[in-house]
Amino acid sequence: MLTNSHVYIAAIVFILTYAFIISEKINRTAVALLGAAIMLGLKVISQEYAFESIDFNTIGLLIGMMIIITITKRTGVFQYIAIKSAKLAKGDPWKIILSFSIITAISSALLDNVTTVLLLAPVTLVITDTLNLNPIPFLLPEILSANIGGTATLIGDPPNIMIGSATGLGFLDFLFNLGPVVIVILSVVILILKLIYGKELIVDEEHKKRIMNFDEYKAIKDHSLLKKSLIVLGFTIIGFALHQVFEFESATVALIGASTLLVLSKINPEEVLIELEWTTIFFFAGLFILVGALEEVGIIETIAEKVVFITKGNLFLTTLMIIWVSAIASAFIDNIPFVATMIPLIKSIGSMSNINTTPLWWALALGACLGGNGSLVGASANVIVAGMLEKTKYKLTFIDFIKIGFPIMIVSVLISTIYLIVFYI
Amino acid sequence: MRKYMKAEINRHDMILTQMGAKIKIINSYMCYVTFDLDGTEVSYVYNVNKKNKYFLERIEPYPEHAGTFKCEEDVIETIKIDIEQFKNAKKSRVFDLFVDINKEMNKTIRNFEDLYLYYNVPREYANSIKSKIQEIQDIIKTAKENCERVYFKKDPDTL
Repeated sequence: MLTNSHVYIAAIVFILTYAFIISEKINRTAVALLGAAIMLGLKVISQEYAFESIDFNTIGLLIGMMIIITITKRTGVFQYIAIKSAKLAKGDPWKIILSFSIITAISSALLDNVTTVLLLAPVTLVITDTLNLNPIPFLLPEILSANIGGTATLIGDPPNIMIGSATGLGFLDFLFNLGPVVIVILSVVILILKLIYGKELIVDEEHKKRIMNFDEYKAIKDHSLLKKSLIVLGFTIIGFALHQVFEFESATVALIGASTLLVLSKINPEEVLIELEWTTIFFFAGLFILVGALEEVGIIETIAEKVVFITKGNLFLTTLMIIWVSAIASAFIDNIPFVATMIPLIKSIGSMSNINTTPLWWALALGACLGGNGSLVGASANVIVAGMLEKTKYKLTFIDFIKIGFPIMIVSVLISTIYLIVFYI
Repeated sequence: MRKYMKAEINRHDMILTQMGAKIKIINSYMCYVTFDLDGTEVSYVYNVNKKNKYFLERIEPYPEHAGTFKCEEDVIETIKIDIEQFKNAKKSRVFDLFVDINKEMNKTIRNFEDLYLYYNVPREYANSIKSKIQEIQDIIKTAKENCERVYFKKDPDTL
């Protein structure tokens, strides 16, 4: 039996937990799990309900893709692609930036943006070191492209995974609805970056020759594993494209791919599983329980009522509000807890106002993913690259990032808004 | 933190691979072990992994590769003996001198390597250094013959 005190407790625990997550004073996973545990300890929700609140489709999809990527990256294929592209660009800095941005965007869409940056940024650092150039004009476009590319698919960014899992929107739904606008945004962003960095980077022939001396074939460490990984990755992506046709959840596809590759690779599973981002997985689990508690006590429903009251159930206003609030919020706070909270909220708005929620989901995905480009702390990829640069003589400060990232984020969200208005409202 | 480590490893991997190296990355634990022997720090570092090779190195009071072992028990046994010997040696009035000599020897090895790698050294210098080393080894052998043995649990590895 829920009482008013349960509502207050849930609200206070939730707000405090999110405040600690945003402040980054304590590890976000530890705080999320503690918040969830307090909800259980104070009997706001039962253990049974807490476990039901965890979206195991999201968790399964994350784990499955992490396994596939962990095995595939051992082959050195990402290093190969990066070196090959740099050589095809003949060491020309702008062409390298362009090709790396496109590779990052595609790779982020098909794998995930953090992994892509983790694999490509180190190679970029070696290349800029060889060219004797500041790496920031190379890395910044990569980060921006990673966050933009990840927006295009169900598996590209965790917010999309959560949205897809909660709504039943599949891989092709994301690709067909968000893919076109992502291509436009990426093209515009590349154009802006060309204006910013295009003429700034000059390299003499001797340094270009050094790039041409790299041997991309040395990067491939295991040809047999490479074949197996690419085949499994290919089938997994086909599986994602067809998962709705065969009525499979996306996690099923990812886990079939992951377990097949685990067997085929003959790598000790312990060595693979130790590499997974378990803290992220548990962070998700904690958040799902926290948000589940808010739903259970009726807070989400109350907020939804207020939103419907403000927007009067108007699809245009609601879409606009969701995309811009999501973008601005995601620029400064972790988009995962934000989206975790927004999902039940949008569901409630839909059931209360009878408006078509599909545009709202796209607004949430576009806002939350593209918002990550707004500031240095907006996305994990940004933070990782800034951290990597700390070890070099170049520093990517919050202000440096925001000068380029924030206007680009505004342009991206503006394009998205126009896209949603033209095609969905 | 783990993400930065992975990124750093990826960067090293590319540089070393392009230099022609074959790189094998293994998951392992690095253990730092420190003893305080009445104000003298004796510390070790060793690596525990699944490849059945454990690299042990003493880092304080002076650095020395202590060996490659096939199991953790051998690592522990080696540290145990080393600590016993240091406890014993600590009682000596010439302990500080003993530590200093070891540090100087390590420094001399590095100096010699730099000389060899950075300069074109004529044979007579090399011969001169070699004869000095022989002199030191002779002194060690003579000292061994004339000094009282104080540790018996294990025979010396090199004398």
